[in-house]
Amino acid sequence: MTEPGFLDIISFGPDGWGPALAAGAWMTILIAISGFAIGGLIGTFGAWAKIAGGPVVRACAEAYTTILRGIPDLLVIYLFYFGGSAVVTAVGQLFGAEGFVSFPGFIAGALAVGITSGAQQTEVYRGAFRAVHPGELEAATACGMGRLLKFRRITAPLTLRYALPGLGNVWQVVLKESALVSVTGVVELLRQAQIGAGSTSRPFDFFFIAAMIYLAISTVSGLILQVTERRFQRGVRRG
Amino acid sequence: MNISAAVTTPVAIRVHDLHKSFGPIEVLKGVSLEAREGEVISILGSSGSGKSTLLRCINMLEVPNSGTIEVAGEAIRLKTSSDGRSRPADQKQVDRIRSELGMVFQSFNLWSHKTVLENVIEAPVHVLKRPRAEAIEEAEALLAKVGIADKRNHYPSHLSGGQQQRAAIARALAMRPKAMLLDEPTSALDPELVGEVLRVMRGLAEEGRTMLVVTHEMGFARDVSSRVVFVHKGTIEEEGPPHEVFTRSKSERFRQFIKS
Repeated sequence: MTEPGFLDIISFGPDGWGPALAAGAWMTILIAISGFAIGGLIGTFGAWAKIAGGPVVRACAEAYTTILRGIPDLLVIYLFYFGGSAVVTAVGQLFGAEGFVSFPGFIAGALAVGITSGAQQTEVYRGAFRAVHPGELEAATACGMGRLLKFRRITAPLTLRYALPGLGNVWQVVLKESALVSVTGVVELLRQAQIGAGSTSRPFDFFFIAAMIYLAISTVSGLILQVTERRFQRGVRRG
Repeated sequence: MNISAAVTTPVAIRVHDLHKSFGPIEVLKGVSLEAREGEVISILGSSGSGKSTLLRCINMLEVPNSGTIEVAGEAIRLKTSSDGRSRPADQKQVDRIRSELGMVFQSFNLWSHKTVLENVIEAPVHVLKRPRAEAIEEAEALLAKVGIADKRNHYPSHLSGGQQQRAAIARALAMRPKAMLLDEPTSALDPELVGEVLRVMRGLAEEGRTMLVVTHEMGFARDVSSRVVFVHKGTIEEEGPPHEVFTRSKSERFRQFIKS
């Protein structure tokens, strides 16, 4: 096997690593988006629990954010992957399967990323909600809006206005965390770069390209977030 | 309104023996009040007297501990929950009655992420499910009426306080409310902006709208309202037509209050 040059690594030709790296980048984006979305869902409920929940609900939410922020993210991924696999294996044995059945790495990874970013998003939403003028929420109540309508039309957009800068940070963290999911064998960008590095003698080239792709993804998503932020800032007095 | 008309006009809002406590502090100690259709009632009182709480109980922004509230003859059903607190028995009923009462707040409380027009059509479209085009048409007429038609596409933060409050009044009117509840509508305004809001309120009174107004504006209370209610320490201390209570009140406290 001849050694590929730098251009071969990024080319989409017959010997190029381009398609593989693109697929890896796509997987990275998928993991990050799924994890961020799961985290958003958890964060919404977490913030609601901390703001409006009774003592028990509040304590649960508090325990969740404290624990998740205190455990290394890599460990959370291991726990999900091996924990999930143990469950799947046990269920498999019930149906007569033998040996270790592995939990899908993508699902374990997305859940793990989601549950850690959920802890961060809980805090972001909670802080943002505190910044909303309570009178605007009361006005929604006073004109007869039910809970869901009020949340959808008034509470969520006003909260997002203050949450978006914080969410931008969470997104960048999630994007980088997605690289940790490579330990479960999911071939995302970092894993693909490792494979490339291992099968050629040009590790630096592969990792350098991976770094550039991460940077490109975060730059583009940063721009999208900026536009979104501006949209939600409508009506805010700039002074 | 003359006396014979007052007796035959239907009751818009009836409050009976209302009690409300915040923690150990009893803010309302058995308040009863009746507003007939077309009446403008000015609720006066020093701060902490319970006058705002009284108004906020009518649309359940505060849930009273006991007592009854009727809007257009319909009593709001309350229940006592397991922790001993009073709660609405039927949230849907409360939401519906709220949609029939136009509330105007001291701090305007317009939705800052929506333009003035969007503020006015929001509840008609999403709560009352009126067609959007129809709601917009009505909203524009209301904005013209309160004198801010040219501000329809502005965000609240770009309006003066007086304009914001007039937009808030238009927003309340857009619900075609059975009665208006105004909670110190001019108290947060710069003195030079009070007049434009009072003029709008005066116009509403002349249209024959039922209004309950918590206010410190003695001029409005004396000239516009059909009845004045003076709340003191959680009870109604004095009540009657303005020309009577302002000239020959039996209450020493009320005479002190209007002097200060």
